[in-house]
Amino acid sequence: MNIQTPVRLGPAEEKLIAQLEGAGADALADQLRARGLPTRRVEAYHYTDLKMLLRDVPDLPEPGEAAAAPALRVPGSYRLLVADGEVQEVGTAPAGVIVSEQDGPVLSERDDPIVGVNRALAVSTLKVRLESSVDPVVHIDRRATGVAGHVVGSVLIDVADGASATVLESCSGTEEAHLTNFATKVNLGKGARLTHIVVDLSGETVTRFHTLEYEFAAESHLHGLVLNSGSQLSRTQIFGTVNGEGAHADLNGLNLVNGGQHCDITMDLTHAVPNTTSKEKFKVVAREKAKAVFQGKILVAQDAQKTDAKMMMQGLMLGATAEILSKPELEIYADDVVCGHGSTCGDLDHDAMFYLMSRGVPQKLAESMLIRAFVQELLDPIEDAELNEALSGVVEDWLAQEGQNLSA
Amino acid sequence: MTTPMLEIRDLHVRIEEENKAILKGVNLTIPHGEVHAVMGRNGSGKSTLSYALAGREGYEITDGDVLLDGESIVDMEPDERAAAGLFLAFQYPIEIPGVATMTFLKAAMNAQRKAREQEELSTPDFRKAVREAAGKLSIDTDMLKRALNVGFSGGEKKRAEVLQMALLQPKMCILDETDSGLDIDALQIVSEGVNGLRSPQRSMLVITHYQRLLNHIVPDRVHVFSDGRVVESGDKDLALELESKGYAAFDGVPA
Ligand SMILES: Nc1ncnc2c1ncn2[C@@H]1O[C@H](COP(=O)(O)OP(=O)(O)O)[C@@H](O)[C@H]1O
Ligand SMILES: [Mg+2]
Repeated sequence: MNIQTPVRLGPAEEKLIAQLEGAGADALADQLRARGLPTRRVEAYHYTDLKMLLRDVPDLPEPGEAAAAPALRVPGSYRLLVADGEVQEVGTAPAGVIVSEQDGPVLSERDDPIVGVNRALAVSTLKVRLESSVDPVVHIDRRATGVAGHVVGSVLIDVADGASATVLESCSGTEEAHLTNFATKVNLGKGARLTHIVVDLSGETVTRFHTLEYEFAAESHLHGLVLNSGSQLSRTQIFGTVNGEGAHADLNGLNLVNGGQHCDITMDLTHAVPNTTSKEKFKVVAREKAKAVFQGKILVAQDAQKTDAKMMMQGLMLGATAEILSKPELEIYADDVVCGHGSTCGDLDHDAMFYLMSRGVPQKLAESMLIRAFVQELLDPIEDAELNEALSGVVEDWLAQEGQNLSA
Repeated sequence: MTTPMLEIRDLHVRIEEENKAILKGVNLTIPHGEVHAVMGRNGSGKSTLSYALAGREGYEITDGDVLLDGESIVDMEPDERAAAGLFLAFQYPIEIPGVATMTFLKAAMNAQRKAREQEELSTPDFRKAVREAAGKLSIDTDMLKRALNVGFSGGEKKRAEVLQMALLQPKMCILDETDSGLDIDALQIVSEGVNGLRSPQRSMLVITHYQRLLNHIVPDRVHVFSDGRVVESGDKDLALELESKGYAAFDGVPA
């Protein structure tokens, strides 16, 4: 006889189930009741055991007032303020940008609880259509306002054939224990070019889930960068399908973690058609008791001949208590491809430290110089000068945060 | 009696990783304004001496003391020793990708100014100082736009070391085989650069295993180094004697 012991549900799961039922998502609620949140036994969540890590789910937010100052300001950008998932300020869109709202969620269905919850609770999606060559940076400023709330948001970035643009999404909010579940769907039209930056500057008690879904038409080009320095617990999921010949995906990530942060980037990219390329570079700087996770999977379908995909993960560990977990995976069904992956992890170069200090540079400053050198490669390709400076500022702010001697 | 610039007293150094004693009682005193040469065969411990003086980790001082201008430096961090006026021109300068040479020079100069409670250099003053010092060493300023020591030729690295020395104005300079990897012309330029820094307030320890360099940088004293200690000291003629007789005549070890 095979009796399945019922899953014991914690308060976070009970709350989620109630919210899902309230939104009429009974099937998902039942599934969550039966399975519970994923534990380390679920492969995709092996390093981020949500059942253990997600302690509480706050109430869905009351419409609140927007927080005053943006956490990230890019001079000259066109800013769209989205507070607690609702569009607040649209302003006058620059040439080539059409902003609208559509009903319902935007993510594709997927057997994943983070995606499931977003699909169930996202009432509407902010649609940003990029029609031509858009000059200013489009800044989607997502905020969690007021008291702790379970904030769900959904954005569609639709880049027309031949159009080009730079879109920045920043996530921030009040210093409360928000749970945010954001979705961004990006459609790249034929020959479209997009630079897409996602920056997390959420408060230090926030739990943040963000799912990015990319679709590539022929000859399209993406330069993506996820920069995480906020949140207590975060998981960024990147799902991409390169389904247009000649398309190129450049996916980059930078996790700057300290204290007791747990920061996960999980990427799943499929090369579905022949003659496509991708380059993935993920870097982590971890200090104190922080934990950073990178799971990267590249799947090359059987007829995706001539795929060229290179994935690299580089970790810098400052101190013996930080943890960097990396799981790169290649699943290749085509026979004529160039694919590779690598993963390295280490502390600051001792010889370089000695050299700098022998010139009178104090330890802390020498460490900062070497950390900057380590992350610079990910900032260099950001062409917009103001945006580049803003992102450098995020790195500088992180470096300036109080910490023990890093390489002790 | 006046305080010497550098006084090395019975210095014993062990390389932690190998658990091996390398320096076995070095005694060396360099008065203010003097240039002393240390000559010794490969593997005799010259670089170990230079690293121990600069405070590199892994080089454990098991006995003895080092006084810079009368103050013990053995418990100081490398940056504190630099701020106190010690400078080591590396035998093998370290390449640091991602750190622009100019950024590094400015950070180093300002860090030392700060430690000495001087004001930060303005950018124009900094650039001017670098341009002048680089000019004297025939350094192409394009080189300084690159990452620190990355892609520099052997000779360029050595010039960059002397450039740093000129900019940081240390009172005690240690030059570890600055002549190696230099052709005759470069040796001439670098030596002139070093000689230009000679002053009554500045002392130098020039490490080499060829007498050649000492034709250009003429030392006040020469010390022969063997198996982790000084085995013979004399005036500049000792270098010539060493060149003609060979090391074996001094340390008894067959060549
Ligand atoms: N980092 C190190 N690890 C192990 N052995 C070392 C290290 N540095 C130097 N040694 C050893 O110490 C001895 C002295 O080396 P070194 O000081 O470099 O000599 P020199 O500069 O006179 O050629 C040699 O036997 C060398 O092999
Ligand atoms: Mg040596």
